[in-house]
Amino acid sequence: MAALNDWQNRLEETALGPVRRTGRRFWAVVAILLAIIGWGLYAYSVQLRDGLVVTGMRDRISWGLYIATFVFFIGISHAGTLISAILRVSNARWRTPVTRMAEFVTVVALICGASFVVIDLGRPDRVLNVFIYGRWQSPIIWDVLAITTYLTASVTYLFVPMIPDLALFRDRLAGRSSRWRGSLYRTLAIGWHGRPAQWRSLTSAIGVLMILIIPIAVSVHTVVSWIFAMTMRVPWDSALFGAFFVAGAIFSGIAILIIVMAILRRTYHLEEYVTEKHFVYLGYLMAAFAAIMIYANISELLVHGYKLQEGVEFHFRQLFLAEFAPLFWFYLLGGLCAPIVIALVPATRNVRGIVAAAILVTLAMWIERYFIVVTGLRVPLMPYEPASYAPTWVEWSLLAAGLAAFALLITLFTKLFPIIAVWEVAEDHEASAVQAGTGIPARAIPATADSPRLAEEAGR
Amino acid sequence: MKSITRRSVTTVTRLLAPWAILVAFAGSAIASHVDVSVATVGEVTVGETVAIPVALHTMDGSPLAGTVVTFYLHMSFAGVEGEAEIGRAVTDEDGVASLAYRPRLAGHHELRMEYLAAGRSDIESTTTVIEVTGGAQLYHSPAGVDVPGVGVELLMVVLATVWSILFWVVLRIVAIARAGGEVREAALGARR
Repeated sequence: MAALNDWQNRLEETALGPVRRTGRRFWAVVAILLAIIGWGLYAYSVQLRDGLVVTGMRDRISWGLYIATFVFFIGISHAGTLISAILRVSNARWRTPVTRMAEFVTVVALICGASFVVIDLGRPDRVLNVFIYGRWQSPIIWDVLAITTYLTASVTYLFVPMIPDLALFRDRLAGRSSRWRGSLYRTLAIGWHGRPAQWRSLTSAIGVLMILIIPIAVSVHTVVSWIFAMTMRVPWDSALFGAFFVAGAIFSGIAILIIVMAILRRTYHLEEYVTEKHFVYLGYLMAAFAAIMIYANISELLVHGYKLQEGVEFHFRQLFLAEFAPLFWFYLLGGLCAPIVIALVPATRNVRGIVAAAILVTLAMWIERYFIVVTGLRVPLMPYEPASYAPTWVEWSLLAAGLAAFALLITLFTKLFPIIAVWEVAEDHEASAVQAGTGIPARAIPATADSPRLAEEAGR
Repeated sequence: MKSITRRSVTTVTRLLAPWAILVAFAGSAIASHVDVSVATVGEVTVGETVAIPVALHTMDGSPLAGTVVTFYLHMSFAGVEGEAEIGRAVTDEDGVASLAYRPRLAGHHELRMEYLAAGRSDIESTTTVIEVTGGAQLYHSPAGVDVPGVGVELLMVVLATVWSILFWVVLRIVAIARAGGEVREAALGARR
């Protein structure tokens, strides 16, 4: 029992560590990220002042870097859904140390992704026109509804399982942190004291949310794909697009989660909880989705190539042989085939290997999103010369700012909220101990997350 | 001298002008190897289907049968100009290839007919013009297939269900907060 208490204390200290200690390196990272965001804001001000003419987008290629990045961000938002919801539904206990990170990646990626749509508008003051003049028959409206619902559900799904951990922070940091921080934890903990009635409400809410969020997440990326597939463009003319986008989303989501895990593990010394096992298991999942993506690509390209409708020949030539060939082959070989090899070969099946594979997948999936948008629009609809598109410094700056905002929000999150789901990890540890025959009573660990302050008050 | 010259030019012009007008209106052209003539279509209204017959004959007057004639329409869209193929027809035993054309826009339609006569290696072509009047909108979306129960109402039901479930989750959160409030009150009561 003493060993378990030591373990529990160590876990809580690890979770509280980032909140208690903030070094110069943290502020340096924040300063760099803020500088990039500041540069992006300047670029955006130039775009607002001069209009979209400062971008590389024109009448024929009217979507570019912004929409590709929007699709990419919405894709990686599936990290939380897969790791947290699907693995929770399937009762995969190994997931517990990484669920919180995955859920936060989801929320941050959705916020960043949605902002790129507004950036792409050129006239952000007209964003409300979508609601005022929108038509129910339009995929744009479906997209807005799906993303809004998914963001609401994701924030709820991030918050609800965090309540016991917020109560832990409230109690452990009481009187030892700033007033605003104490007030924040008191408010967000919503009076959690680990009462049976509270556990019942929490468990039922998590149970419903984890099932609800899976179809919502699937619907979001399906609807994003329909924005392309329901447009009269030969390369986008595919009924497979929805499934293709969802598979790609989960694939890139796992990759980003692995990278975030690796950075946080190293920064906050989480090696005891986020182990090589987690990287290898996620590497297997990533390899499985790489195989699904290969299958989807073959199916898509073979069917299109076999029929070779007018325009497809041009599309295939630009992808496989001409302008985009080097990056497209990198996507196929480096982004889809290499992760499978890395996950299967024992010599590379370790933290470094899986992280390297995740970086390859992330780059490849961003390139894939870019190709879907730009090469699809490049195929001429009329007998004219194909248009060309090259992002300008404004677009690259806003892309960098978007990525910096993503990194900054995650960095700030680690300084405010528990990055490990303490009560879930403890529960998992407890279950393992029970299985090992130590006979520790059920629900012993979450009860320690109750308020020591109130226990003290009750004792009086 | 000058008046004689002027009178001669006027006489020649008067003699040739009707022929020039006739040739222009008939749209005929004397190709290098083939005698081609396009019948005047006249004025057409938008949506009306008209036949554009092209007659091909050899220089000695015998019809050229079995020759493929490709019809192109000169188009201008968003500042870009080009030709779009609108159809093909094969000449019959009288040497006539006819294309049924249904103009969808009013205005001045310039058509070019291209053909390769048997035994020749050079593609030859001729042109004609059709004046299209009227303002009927021909581009209509099809009404679609109305499947009972599948429509905006279904989307509303799905959305309402999802948001109702989310609202239920919010009620659970409220229940947690209320239970926490009861604990706090009990603790405060015990302290008093």
